[in-house]
Amino acid sequence: MSIILVGVNHKSAPIAVRERLAFSEDACAATLRELVDGELIREGLIVSTCNRVEVLTETTSGRFDDSAERVIQFLSRSDVPRDFFESNLYKHVDDSAVRHLFRVASSLDSLVVGEPQVLGQVRRAYSIALDAGTAGRVLNRLVHHAFRVAKRVRTETGIGANAVSISYMAVELGKKIFDSLKGQTALLVGAGEMAELSARHLVNAGVSRVMVANRTDGSARQLAESFGGEAVSFTRLAEYLAEADVVICSTGADEYVITETMARKALHKRRNRPSFFIDISVPRNIDPAIGKIPNMFVFDIDDLESVVSSNIREREREAERAELIVESEIMQFQQSLRALDAGPAIGTFRQTLQDVAKLEFQRRRAQLGELTPEQEQAIEALLQATVNKISHPVLSQLRLNYDATDADKIEAWRDLFGLEE
Amino acid sequence: MRSLLLAVLAAYVVAAIHAVLAFINKRRALLRVSEYAMAVGFVLHTTALIADWALYGHYPLFHLRETLSFLAWTLVASYSLILYRYQARALGSVTLPLVSLLVFVAIVTREEPSAEAASMSTTWLFPVHTTLLLFAYAAFFVVFLASIMYLLQERELKLKKFSGIYHRLPSLTTVNEIATSSAAIGVTLLTVGIATGMLWSSARNGRVWQNDPKEVFAALTWTLYILLILYRSSARWRGRRAAWMGVAGFALVLCTFFGARLMGGYHVFG
Repeated sequence: MSIILVGVNHKSAPIAVRERLAFSEDACAATLRELVDGELIREGLIVSTCNRVEVLTETTSGRFDDSAERVIQFLSRSDVPRDFFESNLYKHVDDSAVRHLFRVASSLDSLVVGEPQVLGQVRRAYSIALDAGTAGRVLNRLVHHAFRVAKRVRTETGIGANAVSISYMAVELGKKIFDSLKGQTALLVGAGEMAELSARHLVNAGVSRVMVANRTDGSARQLAESFGGEAVSFTRLAEYLAEADVVICSTGADEYVITETMARKALHKRRNRPSFFIDISVPRNIDPAIGKIPNMFVFDIDDLESVVSSNIREREREAERAELIVESEIMQFQQSLRALDAGPAIGTFRQTLQDVAKLEFQRRRAQLGELTPEQEQAIEALLQATVNKISHPVLSQLRLNYDATDADKIEAWRDLFGLEE
Repeated sequence: MRSLLLAVLAAYVVAAIHAVLAFINKRRALLRVSEYAMAVGFVLHTTALIADWALYGHYPLFHLRETLSFLAWTLVASYSLILYRYQARALGSVTLPLVSLLVFVAIVTREEPSAEAASMSTTWLFPVHTTLLLFAYAAFFVVFLASIMYLLQERELKLKKFSGIYHRLPSLTTVNEIATSSAAIGVTLLTVGIATGMLWSSARNGRVWQNDPKEVFAALTWTLYILLILYRSSARWRGRRAAWMGVAGFALVLCTFFGARLMGGYHVFG
């Protein structure tokens, strides 16, 4: 048995290649059913997202080249010439394939390290394979193990902890300052796209009230409606400022829309409760001097960008620790796989021998004449013990070969005793 | 008694190491170990204090050794309350090492029990007075820690440069609440503690105020924290300035606790 992974990702292949190789969900299922022939390739799974197309298979050991070849044929289908993508392909076998899947599921292989969407995509790919009937004993175990690794990485490292997009920074800052955004009030000044996205994140994080102020009241009302918020008058901005815990500003104005005087008055009305301002506009719309006022925090686009890039660096540091978790899990997975394999083989082997003994006993039973139940039991026990004693060294050897994942010897055992999986 | 205290120290050291590692590595599994170890340490510690009391016949808060051990005990109790109420585990990475240090010093300090100790224990005012004040000190230590955490984070938010510490500390609101409520509790304890002290003093020699250094510092401390609370509640000093006051207040607490001891005076113990 061998695990093989063949595919391309955003690092190995440009979008022009990835888009040609990508599978739709229906195509995934259909391809899987054809690809898995039960002989060379026994199990299969396809992960196809915008950043990667990967085929994971469980195949007969020692036939790596044949299996990879078969997968490549399926990737090329009829319409993609092989030399168009072959140089972008990576092929991983066994430990290396397991490592790759674990890294993908833990979002260590993602475009932005630590972004969790990929786990959902792997989950979806798995359920497609389950429906297609191409995920069996080995892949089941492998994929579930990958989910476990992803969970460990998420809880034991800070890989997903810090915001890596500017629009999400508002939520992160809000949590740092207010602990929770539940019940807080946000004020949107201007109706830029980025501001809207930030506001949407805020609402998802629990902000209960969104006010929108815009020079043209019509578009303010429209945007406010989409949040279930309220449009407020742009000319009375100073009054609403006091009610806002979070202010996001992105107008096209070329002067300060929120001045230091306005902010000071608002802070006074707020009885010094903290608030923060996010200024996404260029030129800036919020007077940077506000950042010097106690309990008020101002972030302009440059600040946000530098925080985001420092957060990405922080994630990369955490990723190094995640890699260690992945390595230790690979070992655990290999061990569990061995146990998975040796168990049933030994069971079948033992059963076969015991059956032979029982059968022989029954054949000769008539010649033994009258026996008391005790005597009969004693003979049965004797046979069982003899069979166990004789088969013991054989079973130990079998177990050893499994532990060493010595594929050839295991194959030989199977042939010798007619063991099925 | 020493062997029991050594076991206490061992438990606290385990708790402290795991809390610090958890703070650095952000591992929750380590926190669990830390909390179990702390719980074990606390139970043993309580037993040790009770045993001390029974053995020497005076309330175990007289000699420096006893005072340090008792102070460590109040710190653990306060930190447990913070954990229960705010889950602010970051505080443990400072509190638990300090607790370990206090217990360690308590173990290596040797003092002969004096007759004076037994004479003090005849009045119930002695245990009440000292216990309340030690808990007040512990509360002010929490105010101090929370204030430092506030200042560190506020500074980084203003500078927009976030270090590793920033990502490991509780939010501004949380540390602010911890500081506010601990200050209120601390001042209440301090007030009652000082009042019982005055009562006791007047019962002994008819004087409410001895004018010794410890009393003067205590009065200053009391004034400062009362101001802090008034300012906080009137909302004029929220955030940074209140946090600075929490730090300054703790300097006074240290003077009250150690300084007065060095300067001598009516108060004989630490």
